[in-house]
Amino acid sequence: MTTTASTRVIVTGRRDDTPFRHAGPRRREELISWAFLAPFLIAFALFLVWPILHGIYLSFTDQSLTGAGGGFVGFANYAEALGDPVMWQSLWNTVWFTVLSTVPLVLVALLMAALVDRGLPGQWLWRLSFFMPYLLASTVISQIWVWIFNPQIGAANNILKALGLEPIAWLQNPDTNMMAIVIATVWWTVGFNFLLYLAAMQNIPQQQYEAASLDGAGPWRQFWSITLPQLAPATVLILILQVLASLKLFDQAYQMLGGVASDTTRSIVQYIYEAGFVSYRFGYSAAISYVFFALIVIVGVVQAVATRRKKEL
Amino acid sequence: MTPPLDLSRRQFLAAASLAAGTALLAGCAPGTASGSTTQTLQFWHLLSGGDGVTMSSLLDKVNAAQDAYRIRPTVLAWGSPYYTKLAMAGTGGRAPDVAIMHATRVPGWAPGGLLDSWDLDRLAELGVDESTFPAPIWQKGFAGDRLFSVALDAHPFVLMYNTDICDAAGQLDSDGRLRETSSPEEFLEQLRAVAGSAEGHALSYGYLGDGAQMWRLFYGLYAQHDLAIELPVGGKMGIDKDAAVEVLEFMRTLLDGEIAATQNDYGTAVAEFATGKSGMFMTGVWELRTMQNAGIPFDATMIPTLYGTPAVYADSHSFVLPHQSDADPQRRELTYRFVADMLKGSFGWAEAGHVPAYLPVTTSPEYDDLVPQAHYAEAAEHVVYDPEAWFTGSGSNFQGEFGAAVQGVLLSGDDPAAAIDRFERRVNALLAQPNPADPEGTWKP
Repeated sequence: MTTTASTRVIVTGRRDDTPFRHAGPRRREELISWAFLAPFLIAFALFLVWPILHGIYLSFTDQSLTGAGGGFVGFANYAEALGDPVMWQSLWNTVWFTVLSTVPLVLVALLMAALVDRGLPGQWLWRLSFFMPYLLASTVISQIWVWIFNPQIGAANNILKALGLEPIAWLQNPDTNMMAIVIATVWWTVGFNFLLYLAAMQNIPQQQYEAASLDGAGPWRQFWSITLPQLAPATVLILILQVLASLKLFDQAYQMLGGVASDTTRSIVQYIYEAGFVSYRFGYSAAISYVFFALIVIVGVVQAVATRRKKEL
Repeated sequence: MTPPLDLSRRQFLAAASLAAGTALLAGCAPGTASGSTTQTLQFWHLLSGGDGVTMSSLLDKVNAAQDAYRIRPTVLAWGSPYYTKLAMAGTGGRAPDVAIMHATRVPGWAPGGLLDSWDLDRLAELGVDESTFPAPIWQKGFAGDRLFSVALDAHPFVLMYNTDICDAAGQLDSDGRLRETSSPEEFLEQLRAVAGSAEGHALSYGYLGDGAQMWRLFYGLYAQHDLAIELPVGGKMGIDKDAAVEVLEFMRTLLDGEIAATQNDYGTAVAEFATGKSGMFMTGVWELRTMQNAGIPFDATMIPTLYGTPAVYADSHSFVLPHQSDADPQRRELTYRFVADMLKGSFGWAEAGHVPAYLPVTTSPEYDDLVPQAHYAEAAEHVVYDPEAWFTGSGSNFQGEFGAAVQGVLLSGDDPAAAIDRFERRVNALLAQPNPADPEGTWKP
């Protein structure tokens, strides 16, 4: 073993040309790494840190989009938000949508992945058709589903009529419009979860299945005792991603209802938009968004605690 | 395409990027057509579709008729996004020279200093004054004693009818116009007669998920009671509940599945009438071009006066001066000229169905020959606008709130009185909020 004093070779031509040459070698490395980080840090500060801080400041003022106002109003916006029935309704709608959409988005994705993984013929076709809707823009899927749900000529009601059932005003009836948005959302985004599950399934070693079948386990038993337990990490990941995505409900709900504020589908993000950009109340809008932020933090903490529990078990 | 000259790739790219940079910088310079003193005026509007085509041709005409100014239009999507952008441009000090706003949206804006008021004397010199407008339309432009908007048109909510179907039902008079009806019962009778000769429904009325559509019909009929909804700042909404309930019940009667489809959205209603399946169609005049293109035999009239007082729900596209902190006097001068030119040339605007606001246009003999526009020109004398408040008007949440409150009545026969109560609660909550354009409430017109 030869121990040569490792002389660092700096490949930057003449030594005098090195940047930060007045600094010591350790310090210089640090400075160089900061120089590499700088572009990102500047963008991060400019487009994330500063808006967050400015948003907090705005939420304590009566700043209007029209440039008027801007005076300090203390906690008045927060007090109004907490006493605003529309705010609570939007928050509840958002939570309700998250519950309604997350369950099928996980289960349907699992089912699809299991079918493809167990070797349905024409794999590429299934993968493509399950994942394809996810690539569409929200404007496109909204348009598609507005047509499907059209009360007079839509495919959904034609199916109901064929079954001898009464047609439904899917998107306009407050009893059904949230369900319509959930259906469209599942069709649109289930492909992503399907891919995650499929990738996880294909990582399960084939030998385990072979060993199980030698022991006489049927396909159902194999799925239950081998596939599902090994998918736990994927499920946790999908759940976290899905809950956060569902909480951010806005674009498809807004577009499918043509921008109309329906009490049963107005999401909290839509209410933030309405307060700020329709009613021009920036201060109030900022306050609502921090109430929403608090909700997300709570959900995040609950999830973190729950997943830690799982790991300890 | 091969690059001209004998350049290396690198030279060509360098030259090209230099040229692009120069062009970009030139784009920042104030618009002046090369070698002349023509000023470019920025004009924002929200007219697309058929309206947009008509607007473009009007602008081409005024641009071609003189060389003092050139209008550069910017078209943005209709509704609240348009107003958001216009407000932000004004706040950011980069407002266009002139813009179109709905007249009903102006009251919410005027206090915030987002708009400059029009100089009445200057307009009068150009032939634009009180005498050249129907009274309610001219008045609508004022906040206090200052004029903030000058109407290009009124676009009322009207009744179109298929002349073949209504004739077959025996509902046309000797002039070939729809027989007049003057009470809800009479009108329902007429509709039932029409239902007999229409392949689809007697009436197409799309309202589902469309607060504006519900509001247009409701408020027009409510105003026929010689009533108006009051929205006093910081107070409570004034509404005659009996009249409101009566109107809602009547609207519900229309949607019985015989006269009109119970579940109908706007697009489907347009399609039903345009394909000649229904006898009548309640709509805004902006659908006129659609029906002409569809080639069906039709005419149009005011929504019949069923409750005694002629009243037609309408809004106006109006010219406003977005505030500029140091407006260039010469450009301002040209903006006045442009608006006057547009009003005088607004005969073409009638082709899009709108009733031009400028009386010399609508009282001209040529206008009488314009059918069906001439058949509802009278509507301009009876226009009723949204009640005034900072949160009302076209594309506002107010109409959405109305829709959210009353749709259940029209769709599934919910209790109309409860719906009006709910609407009242929501509006009172809005009334309790200060106008965001004037949070301290210090503005005096």
